[in-house]
Amino acid sequence: MTAKGLAGRLLGRWETLLVAGIVGVGIWSWTLSPFFLTRGNLLDLVTPYVFVGLMALGLTFVVIAGEIDISVASTLAVSVVCFAQIFAAGVNVWLAAVAGLAVATALGLANGLLVGILNLPSLAITLGTLAAYQGLAYVILGGEGVASFPTSYTNVGGGYIAGNQLPVALLILLGFALVLGLVLHVTRFGRYLFTIGANREAARFSGVPVGRVRVTVFALSGLMAGIAGVVYVGYFGSARADAATGSLLDVVTAVVLGGVDIFGGVGSMLGVLLALVLVAELRNGMQLANIGGPTQDIVIGVLLLAAIVAGNLLRAGRTSGFFPGPIRGLRRGVIGRQADEAVRPSNVESPESGR
Amino acid sequence: MNGVVRRLTPQKLAAAAFRLREIGIAAALGISVLFFAIRAPDFLSVSNWQGIAQNVAIVAVVAVGETMVILTRNIDLSVGSIVGLSAYLSAATFVHHHAAPVPVVALIAIAIGLGLGFVNGVLVAVARVPAIIATLATLGIYRGIDDEITGGKNITAYQLPDSFLKLASEKPAGLPALAWIAIGVCLVGAVTLRWAPWARDFYAIGSNPDAARFAGILVRRRVITAFAISGALAGLGGFLFAARFPTVDAVAAKNFELDVITAAVIGGVNVFGGVGTVLGVALGAVLVATIQDGFILLRISEFWRLFFNGFAIVVAVTIDALVTRRLQDALRRRRAEVRAARHREAQA
Repeated sequence: MTAKGLAGRLLGRWETLLVAGIVGVGIWSWTLSPFFLTRGNLLDLVTPYVFVGLMALGLTFVVIAGEIDISVASTLAVSVVCFAQIFAAGVNVWLAAVAGLAVATALGLANGLLVGILNLPSLAITLGTLAAYQGLAYVILGGEGVASFPTSYTNVGGGYIAGNQLPVALLILLGFALVLGLVLHVTRFGRYLFTIGANREAARFSGVPVGRVRVTVFALSGLMAGIAGVVYVGYFGSARADAATGSLLDVVTAVVLGGVDIFGGVGSMLGVLLALVLVAELRNGMQLANIGGPTQDIVIGVLLLAAIVAGNLLRAGRTSGFFPGPIRGLRRGVIGRQADEAVRPSNVESPESGR
Repeated sequence: MNGVVRRLTPQKLAAAAFRLREIGIAAALGISVLFFAIRAPDFLSVSNWQGIAQNVAIVAVVAVGETMVILTRNIDLSVGSIVGLSAYLSAATFVHHHAAPVPVVALIAIAIGLGLGFVNGVLVAVARVPAIIATLATLGIYRGIDDEITGGKNITAYQLPDSFLKLASEKPAGLPALAWIAIGVCLVGAVTLRWAPWARDFYAIGSNPDAARFAGILVRRRVITAFAISGALAGLGGFLFAARFPTVDAVAAKNFELDVITAAVIGGVNVFGGVGTVLGVALGAVLVATIQDGFILLRISEFWRLFFNGFAIVVAVTIDALVTRRLQDALRRRRAEVRAARHREAQA
């Protein structure tokens, strides 16, 4: 490939835009505090949002398959309180954590069975389980909290290795991103997701086991919420029923800002990871600028809307030829390209129908 | 032959299914009233029912707007934040202008909600952001604005004028004033959805957005209208909320959208759009409020309430989808039978 061709391809990528955003917000943060650019701060930037990232990785699979799971934060809460209750009953902390993962996977599986087998709308079902699971978490643990987890365990969320420099949680996130990225972009299961997300009917006629894949995707999303819960408790050192409430906005923003098409069929793991870094950096920068939590939520909400509107504009531009080549290519991910150029059921889901 | 066709019209079959739905809700309501009446002696007292009526009123007012949005095959998650924001702004207006006329403040609350709902509508219909994402974002954004305005402070009942608090305390003809307002809103909503041509469009859009567009319906404008009405009624709901729960802070009406959506979905509004009536939604709101009140009287933890809401949504959606599918299958079968009968007739 010529240097010019390579540059053109890099310029045309959504991920490039995200990197530019990360650099931009980084410069802004640096002007706010010279400590921003220290190695320790950069490495620790994402640590408080690792649980958000783990949930976003799971949600990415769901959204690429053309569905949505807004119950992830509530699933995390149930998983965390089960984990805490079992631990408080005297069970080994690691065994209790595994039990928490099992609970989370079961809750995800419940979503999956309702959506994948009974063919119910994931939007309404996970809205219902969003409330039901959150209520369940309160029912299990009440308003109290469980703390006093051993340090050997809390290290998964707040510990460091390699001379107290490298956060363990960051390594966990990168490890899962790598593995799930491979699953998404290299395996047959991953290909199925893009196919189903692009056109479910066509996928069915091509022999894709649509029902089974959709159930699996929701169970995976549940499992990732459970793993996020394990890291969450490790980072904060305590488990409460209201764990991670309010993180849903960040999770959805990371996925959508990462270039995953909200209508399914397009997306890349790298993009989601970069978007998570951008969200974390942005919140960190706003903290440096003494901007409070509510305003941060407003900014993140606007970012989420802007990401979708930008995607819509680019898609419209691509078909009408309004935008120049590199920008037109922005929405195409590595793997997403093929799914994107395949026949998309763009007319089945009318834009005004809105879901 | 003619008789068979008349008996099998899709409209009649669908109408029968709806009637079944409303009868079902009424039956569920009867059973829960009976259950709580036996288990909790205070349940049937007049004051308890007045409390229930006040809770129903606020949920029902907001749910009428939510119904219009869901009818167009969209959803509005942001109503909880609109109610919270409007509740605080209404109360704050009274704190700063103690003698402000109540209807004027109500109009301000409605106008605020209308504006916020309009933003939702534009995001969904013009910017083409899926409703779930758009209103999830504005749920966060509006709550953030609420947080910024309240700044951690709260308003208490002592700061509010009696003329405003009377909305909750006064009971003309035995029913709380709040409930009379809700009945008025429900009546207007029912008449509108039944007879106003622009509101009938909501059903058309929800049943088949593409067909609606091809039929010349101004889909975008109608969707914006539905969101604007939902916002306006959430604004009014916030005003009523402040009268009912006069201690208003930044977390007021958090998760309220779940109550509203539960009422609508239990009340037979199909999440696929195109199906639903105000009568059903009102019954749904009564059912939700009755069961929640019963929970409190039976000293069942407040925590079960959220669980109940979510569980009810899942069950109602499941039943709706299965019934709709059965209905469609039956219609398809019968249409085939009719065709076969006609064919035989032509042969003879």
